[in-house]
Amino acid sequence: MIREEFMFTNKKECVAMLLAGGQGTRLGVLTRDVAKPAVPFGGKYRIIDFTLSNCINSGIDTIGVLTQYQPFELNQYIGNGQPWDLDRINGGVFVLPPYVRGKTGEWYKGTANAIYQNIKFVDTYDPEYVLVLSGDHIYKMDYDKMLDAHKAEGADCTIAVIDVPIEEASRFGIMKTEDGGNRITEFFEKPKNPVSTKASMGIYIFNWQLLRSYLIADEEDKNSDNDFGKNIIPRMLADGKRMFAYGFSGYWKDVGTIHSLWQANMDLLDKNSGINLADGKWKIYARNNALPPHHIGESAEVKTSIISEGGDINGSVIDSVIFQNVTIKSGAYIEHSVIMPNVVIEEGAKVCHAIIAQNTTIGKNAVIGGELITEDDITVIGANAVIPEETQVEKGAMLEGRV
Amino acid sequence: MNAMGIIFASDREVKLNELTIHRTTASLPFGGRYRLIDFALSNFVNSGVTRIGIIAKNNYNSLMDHIRMGRDWDLNRKNAGIIVFPPFVRSTSQEVYKGKIEALYTNLSFIKEAKEDYVFIVNSNIAANIDYESAVKAMEEKNADILVFTSRTDYANSRRLIVTANEDDKITDMIFSDFFNGEEHLVGINAYIIRRDLLCFLIETAYARSFIDWEKDVLQAQYKNMHMISYEIKEHVSVIDDIKSYFKANMALLDKGVREELFHKYGNVFTKVKDSSPTTYGENAVIKNSLIADGCVIDGVVENSIIFRGVKIGKGAKVSNSILMEHTEVGEAGRLSYVITDKKVTVSPNCSLSGFATYPIVIVKGKTV
Repeated sequence: MIREEFMFTNKKECVAMLLAGGQGTRLGVLTRDVAKPAVPFGGKYRIIDFTLSNCINSGIDTIGVLTQYQPFELNQYIGNGQPWDLDRINGGVFVLPPYVRGKTGEWYKGTANAIYQNIKFVDTYDPEYVLVLSGDHIYKMDYDKMLDAHKAEGADCTIAVIDVPIEEASRFGIMKTEDGGNRITEFFEKPKNPVSTKASMGIYIFNWQLLRSYLIADEEDKNSDNDFGKNIIPRMLADGKRMFAYGFSGYWKDVGTIHSLWQANMDLLDKNSGINLADGKWKIYARNNALPPHHIGESAEVKTSIISEGGDINGSVIDSVIFQNVTIKSGAYIEHSVIMPNVVIEEGAKVCHAIIAQNTTIGKNAVIGGELITEDDITVIGANAVIPEETQVEKGAMLEGRV
Repeated sequence: MNAMGIIFASDREVKLNELTIHRTTASLPFGGRYRLIDFALSNFVNSGVTRIGIIAKNNYNSLMDHIRMGRDWDLNRKNAGIIVFPPFVRSTSQEVYKGKIEALYTNLSFIKEAKEDYVFIVNSNIAANIDYESAVKAMEEKNADILVFTSRTDYANSRRLIVTANEDDKITDMIFSDFFNGEEHLVGINAYIIRRDLLCFLIETAYARSFIDWEKDVLQAQYKNMHMISYEIKEHVSVIDDIKSYFKANMALLDKGVREELFHKYGNVFTKVKDSSPTTYGENAVIKNSLIADGCVIDGVVENSIIFRGVKIGKGAKVSNSILMEHTEVGEAGRLSYVITDKKVTVSPNCSLSGFATYPIVIVKGKTV
């Protein structure tokens, strides 16, 4: 719905700021040369595709992507935003790296500081609201509904929350709301003894002018970590601002660890997991390559797996996610694994409970990984690696990419 | 590159019956995710030809929807780019384009206003990956007026031009013939390069003399007066002008060598992006020797088949030697053998359909069987 007064100016009702600067250290070799949001996922996507697609499907067409760590591949991937329908004259997607101003300039010190440094970008669109997101999660969400709730409550800030198991609650920002309503009464960042299971998803809607003033004030505070969860939100709450929780129930996965990344890929193979990429009503967009359909040969065996375009499959693929342009030769056996683009698996190789990153070759009769008994048993081979013939890589190992 | 391109979206002589009721030949789905015109467009863009006009005669809705601004082929350019020419009716009888000569004559301003020295004139019913740069080079080196793309084959029909060329590739004879005794001959594939100034002259003269047929009335009539050369394509070429050749051309893709030549040899083949999710295979899936596109959900048996985007094959179903176009659904225990289904066809559970290798059955778009 385009309001008339917006049509001839650059004004937007809501601008999204997507925090994509993190290193994702727990993903090890997978994020050594690439930012976490650019890590491949689900056979043809990158993690950031979910947040970008959620934005465009929600009617938000103006997005600042705040990059910092290893941004090259992410920048190239986003490009002019056309795959997500974000190549616009008015609006669009903009990559915002840290920059130098006059004689000064600094890296982003924290999530709030990243937005503080880009106040000018947001001001260009003079929005009423700013939606703060991260590019780290796999989920489908209509942000427009969250904005409707924010408006209906007359809120200053709305935080999307999801119920988490009590054992995990201490990993999150936990919220307590008033009885019978959504107004947030207390907020605890990673509490040792959580009093509720309502966890912050790191998705916030703020009234921009209010957030703007808090960001400026926060920058003045030399003791601040310049972080939303640690500083901005607690301060707003303490000042009596109208903060509301917006409940989300649906599939939402943080893919920040090797096991959770692997598990989220495996969830795509499970009809009951709650994530369905084939749902035409909420498409996830990605930058596509010009590749022919995949070919499955005479000696191949393919069961309960996802296979993307360009593949040449002649071995066995069971319960696995196979990305674009993967070659699996005859006699190779892939099970419960994630095989990223351009990988070649030579004859007789066995890959089990593993993630094999882009452009890697697994040599003949090599054995990668094994049984999955604990979460640490996922084996990871980094990008651009060559694993020689007959090599055995024990489960849980993480091998560097360089040839 | 110093060349522009003209693509004919359809050709009177191409008899694809039910497959081209709703569409031009150029829009004919091929190879699991392409339309025939993607090969012509990709050959052009991979060789640096970025001024392209597509001459369309009828049923070109799906063609225009496929092409749009040409962005998916990297042809959305500020200078030149791609344009579809809807039919321009000149005659008082309101008949659209009696032949290629009239079509070219009507769009001559597009050719005259161009700056390039060479014009490619290609049919869209050719699935081939061709190095156009080498062809233009050959033309320049041999100082030729017209270059005829040819390929060696043992099959021809009455509309295929059989070409005889000497050691310098100069064409010494051109005949139409469907007399074949299994021998291989050099056959034109309906793709040509011609000097732009010569093309304008030939078209204007031919139209003035009421000539209709480009191949008969210009090329075959004039080859003795001009320096015409043959450029033989050694790689895999499929000319698709009937159901039989369409079926054969698709099935050829099951061979890895053919796929490598056709999809990658001189550049990739581009097509419209549709943002489908990857294909999902169920626990009952058994797939042998098949080409399968994105967005499918397959839980049955598929052998020696070409499966397009978004196709669903239910448990217990068996699909062999068939071509299933986009969004075809085969119900549980359905059986298809030597069948070509157009888009959005539904095959009911337990339904069985069988054609022959020499005569595959075609099910038209949207039908339920």
